[in-house]
Amino acid sequence: MGDLIRDVLDKQLVDRNQNSIGKVDGIIVALREGKPPRVAYIEVGTVALARRLNPRLAKWAAALERRLKVSEGEPYRIPWSKVREVGIDVEVDLEWEKTPLISWEKWVNEKIIGRIPGA
Amino acid sequence: MKKIFEVALGIVTSIGGFLEIGSLTTAAQAGALFGFQLIWAIALGGLCIIFLVEMSGRFAAVSHHTIPAAIRERFGFNFFVAPMIGFILVTLLVLAAEIGGVCIALELVTGIAFQWWALPVAFLIWLLIWKGTFSVIEKGASLLGLVTLCFVVGAYWLYPPWNDVATGLVPSLPAKDEARYWFIAVSILGASITPYLMFFYSSGAIEDKWDESYLGTNRAVAGLGMSFGSAISMAVLVVSAIVFMPRGIQVDHYDQVALILTPAFGYWGFILFAASLGIACFGAAQEISLEIAYFIAQAFGWNWGEDQKPRDAARFSLVYTVTIFAGALLVLVGIDPLKLTIFSMALTAATLPLSIMPFLILMNDKRYVGEHRNGIISNVVVTLIIILACVLAVVTIPLQIFGG
Repeated sequence: MGDLIRDVLDKQLVDRNQNSIGKVDGIIVALREGKPPRVAYIEVGTVALARRLNPRLAKWAAALERRLKVSEGEPYRIPWSKVREVGIDVEVDLEWEKTPLISWEKWVNEKIIGRIPGA
Repeated sequence: MKKIFEVALGIVTSIGGFLEIGSLTTAAQAGALFGFQLIWAIALGGLCIIFLVEMSGRFAAVSHHTIPAAIRERFGFNFFVAPMIGFILVTLLVLAAEIGGVCIALELVTGIAFQWWALPVAFLIWLLIWKGTFSVIEKGASLLGLVTLCFVVGAYWLYPPWNDVATGLVPSLPAKDEARYWFIAVSILGASITPYLMFFYSSGAIEDKWDESYLGTNRAVAGLGMSFGSAISMAVLVVSAIVFMPRGIQVDHYDQVALILTPAFGYWGFILFAASLGIACFGAAQEISLEIAYFIAQAFGWNWGEDQKPRDAARFSLVYTVTIFAGALLVLVGIDPLKLTIFSMALTAATLPLSIMPFLILMNDKRYVGEHRNGIISNVVVTLIIILACVLAVVTIPLQIFGG
């Protein structure tokens, strides 16, 4: 288990088109009776990251994301079965544009960067 | 042939890009107050940055990881937060000092007070990055930065007593002003050993998709580029020692430093100084703004890259935009650029263990660099210099602030 955390947690995530879509901010492990535990999901997002530092910080992050309508205030979970490869990056079989992982990027684009001439 | 060209370009741009507000100011102060006695600090800092730049290029070529990403991955996010926040705050102060340097150069030429230039300068820095032609601009700024070689010519023309210059390479105790001596030594170390420089170099190596075949190129660029760069800093110190020390001029204001090259070049010395200061600081300000954005994007796993369109890397673009104007704000409110420079260099020295030690551990980790991991010499040299810089900083910064 320690090995997995060492190998996967905090690694770069890329989608199937090699977009950088975030980091492995958390790991959800399923405990099974009589069998070794198994990774069920990887978690991505500000809230998952903040939770590792401090629960109150996580609450603030969740409130902020809800307020800006960036997310429902919960980290995005990717089922382990979507993981294609663990190398320098963790590649997942998803398209960035079709996941909520793009919502912050979209928000910054719509509200700020996209409004500046020449963007 | 292509490799030779790359090596040459790499060396030339690192020489042209070496001098910036920190190395220029600290070397000028050292020469004015202590003659050639502090040359050893530039040599020691130079030695350390040669090792560190070589390591950061090797790390990129072998591990294909950016340094912030690897530190986060290896030590976990909870540890990573401390070096990240430290790096961003200190580097933001250095950025403000560089923007201040460009503004001072413009003040020298136009007579209009430096604060007024803060926003126009910030806007120009931002615009060139925003337009995405950065790779061209960066190489251009570094090539124009070769104007700083005028200090080397100036030093040569002033017939320095070479024996005394060589004696300065050996550390010695000052006859007076001990606190000031060690504080300037610390600022010189902080100005030479700049973490942003190695992170930026490493990001460039990742963008250019370096592999192990680049290890030779890397060694040549790091070794020669950083040595010749340090030689320019030494030339500044030598010129300052010959021009300022006998006249008892202490470097407390930039309008004093502006005359540093006039004994060697006459009126053109003034123009050369303003051009050197302006170009060197402008180039450094661009690199630093980008490096802060690189660092954050690499830490949080966003798209990043100097030639991306802003809308394809919106968060990355937002970070450098905010960074540049935050830096300019510190100049706009009228903080003295010279004090800001000296303080941020000393602070860089004080925080070196935080920014460098995790990287040094990575350079010894087989999982990242395999057989190309550090040897004992590079480990020992870098560790000793960094600890020395940090200890000296922790002792001398309070003395400087409270001792008057």
